Amino acid sequence: MNEAFDRRYEENMLQGGTTCCPGCGGPLFWKMALQALGPRTVIYGDGPCAMCAIRNIKIPTFNLHFSFVADGATGIVNAFKAKGWDDITIVSSAGDGATGDISFGKLSAAAERNENMIQICVDNEAYMNTGIQKSGLTPYGAWTTTTPGGKESNKKDVPLIMAAHGIPYMATVSVAYPRDLQEKLRKAKEIEGFKYIHAVIPCPTGWRFDPAKAVEVSRLGVDTWAWPLYEVEEGVLGMSRRPEQKPVTEYLKAQGRFRRLSEEQIEYVQATVDERRTNLLAMEGKRIIL
Amino acid sequence: MSFTRMMEGNEAAAWGAKLARAEVVPAYPITPQTELISHIATLIENGTMKAEYIKVEGEHTAMAAAIGASAAGARVFTASSSQGVCYMEEALWMPPGLRLPIVMCFVNRAIAPIGGLRPDHNDSLLQRDNGWIQLYCENSQEALDTILMAYKIGENRDIYLPVAPCYDGYFVSATATPTVVPDQEKVDKWLPPYKHELYSLHPDDFRRPPRPMNIAEGRYEVQKAHERAKQVIEDVDRDFKKVFGRGYDGFIEEYRCEDVDAVLITMGSMTGTARDVIDMMQEDGKRIGLVKLKGFRPFPSEEFREIAKKYQAIAVVDRNTSYGSAGGGIVSMELARALYPMDDRPLLLNFHVGLGGSDVTLRQIEYMADKTLEAAAKGKVDEAVDWVELHDLGEVM
Amino acid sequence: MAQVVRAFAPKADHDKCIGCGQCETYCPEGTVMLNDDRKPVFDYRYCKGCGVCANECPVDAIAMVKEGAQ
Repeated sequence: MNEAFDRRYEENMLQGGTTCCPGCGGPLFWKMALQALGPRTVIYGDGPCAMCAIRNIKIPTFNLHFSFVADGATGIVNAFKAKGWDDITIVSSAGDGATGDISFGKLSAAAERNENMIQICVDNEAYMNTGIQKSGLTPYGAWTTTTPGGKESNKKDVPLIMAAHGIPYMATVSVAYPRDLQEKLRKAKEIEGFKYIHAVIPCPTGWRFDPAKAVEVSRLGVDTWAWPLYEVEEGVLGMSRRPEQKPVTEYLKAQGRFRRLSEEQIEYVQATVDERRTNLLAMEGKRIIL
Repeated sequence: MSFTRMMEGNEAAAWGAKLARAEVVPAYPITPQTELISHIATLIENGTMKAEYIKVEGEHTAMAAAIGASAAGARVFTASSSQGVCYMEEALWMPPGLRLPIVMCFVNRAIAPIGGLRPDHNDSLLQRDNGWIQLYCENSQEALDTILMAYKIGENRDIYLPVAPCYDGYFVSATATPTVVPDQEKVDKWLPPYKHELYSLHPDDFRRPPRPMNIAEGRYEVQKAHERAKQVIEDVDRDFKKVFGRGYDGFIEEYRCEDVDAVLITMGSMTGTARDVIDMMQEDGKRIGLVKLKGFRPFPSEEFREIAKKYQAIAVVDRNTSYGSAGGGIVSMELARALYPMDDRPLLLNFHVGLGGSDVTLRQIEYMADKTLEAAAKGKVDEAVDWVELHDLGEVM
Repeated sequence: MAQVVRAFAPKADHDKCIGCGQCETYCPEGTVMLNDDRKPVFDYRYCKGCGVCANECPVDAIAMVKEGAQ
């Protein structure tokens, strides 16, 4: 049976047994994503927790520090172009700290240059690999070691910002909806230019919940519209799921990091979620680029 | 077809990148490098050069893209100066340890504050600890030639180190001198295509060097590569001279040093001015010679110990600042350490000049030469570190 | 590869199992596979005992037992 598993890991292009925490959404994301991307792929990564999974990936990878999001991939894309190797997909992956904070400018520039690559943000909503510090993509009210009283500012809406660059394709994905995730990656593969995929990755360690609930919490994120799944293709917004909206408090109460939210704060979060839902539904099918 | 024309350093460097068949050029403009990359853009646009020019949004990105491209198998060229180099600094530490033979021109410019757009050498010398090979160029021709040599040196399978051809902003980058642009076919025969034995990111042939388990051993490998590089640099220079007719004596050129008591050591464009001063002074019977330091990293310690035996006084002209240092400028401290093991050491003087980009004048060089001869005659040095520009030397000449 | 240390390990009740494949889909490490009978088998070399498979199973056919008891 071990041989059967070893064969499976080869097929998955991902060796089982990463150094990620039990229940981490990182390897789960890559397990799903790699099946959609296929073996003619090169992955450029940086330093998020998902990096621990990248070490187990069986296709070519290359990495630099997280201040260089998209940069190394830009080099690889152009080198492959110079060599005429146009049948290889270049994927660039970064955590939320890299994407939203320290390398935000790099992301914007690569999008502006329309570099032919898939840029993925594996977003576990804080600097987890270094022990749970706040990032620009940490949601409002979340506990982290640098926001012990709960984060005061809102989560930076990187998906929308990237869409506003006018790139050919942008999509949000969740490990709770693998078919949607894989469809979007397959679609991105076929498009020429800069594609951006934003994946929220459940983090039992940093979000404070039982690892067994990793997928359940992700599903709640989508179903409460805290984490809506949508795409922007050629500037036109499309909703991937329009779930019956569950109260966001179900999502918040499932995670220890929101334990200290007051009733007032929960109402605020509900209001922001409602507003996003309303706006998304209103913009559905419309071109959202000016 | 080889051709000769008056050419500024930046244009000559662009031709160097073109002749070397650089495949990926990630670059961000900064004075005084700007014309180099706009020349490259023009050469690509008009079909003379075939390369992917990545118009990145900052120098930090430029070097990271260079690293990715080099690991992916492309021959890479980039360039920067001063503040751009500082912004790039985090990335600059990677290629030597990763053993990626990127070639990057440092178009020398002073680093702020207290200094403008013009050259001093702090930006390139800042790289002295991280493993980049550094070769300094006196003029446009040398810049072009050094770029070609740089690829041959860096891509040598026993070396695999990045190489920095350095030349002064404005005084080389924007000063036109007659420059021979060699024939592309001749260069192709001399410089084969880039193929890294340790790296490939293509799924059919994925290769990366293993991470060293012992950190010190891993670092020592880079040190050993530098030690091997000395011979390679000399061999490449000799070979270049054989094929193209121009050579730079590897690391050190002794100019009119037969039968002199003392020498000045210069780096970069001021060497050209210094040659004129030495000519004039020797005509007056002064026993002063000139040593041009081309190779700063790896530092030619043994070579210096050999030639230092011949002189009573050596003066290092430092176009850089190292506040609070053990004694004077960066090059003088390297030389002092190189000469330390000698039983019989010459006197060592150190002059700071051209700091923050100021011009280095004939008069200033004459002053330094006179001071050095004085020390040689007296058998002692009055002022170990002399900031030449603080003196009013009267007529500039 | 990591030397996996587990507190709990998954144990499947093949009679309860309906062969839906959710466990295989959602295992973060790929250490759950459906065999030829479409029943889950586990790679105990690398399984971390996170419990996602047990949590996602729609018919509670997987239980997390103390490590060693699987």
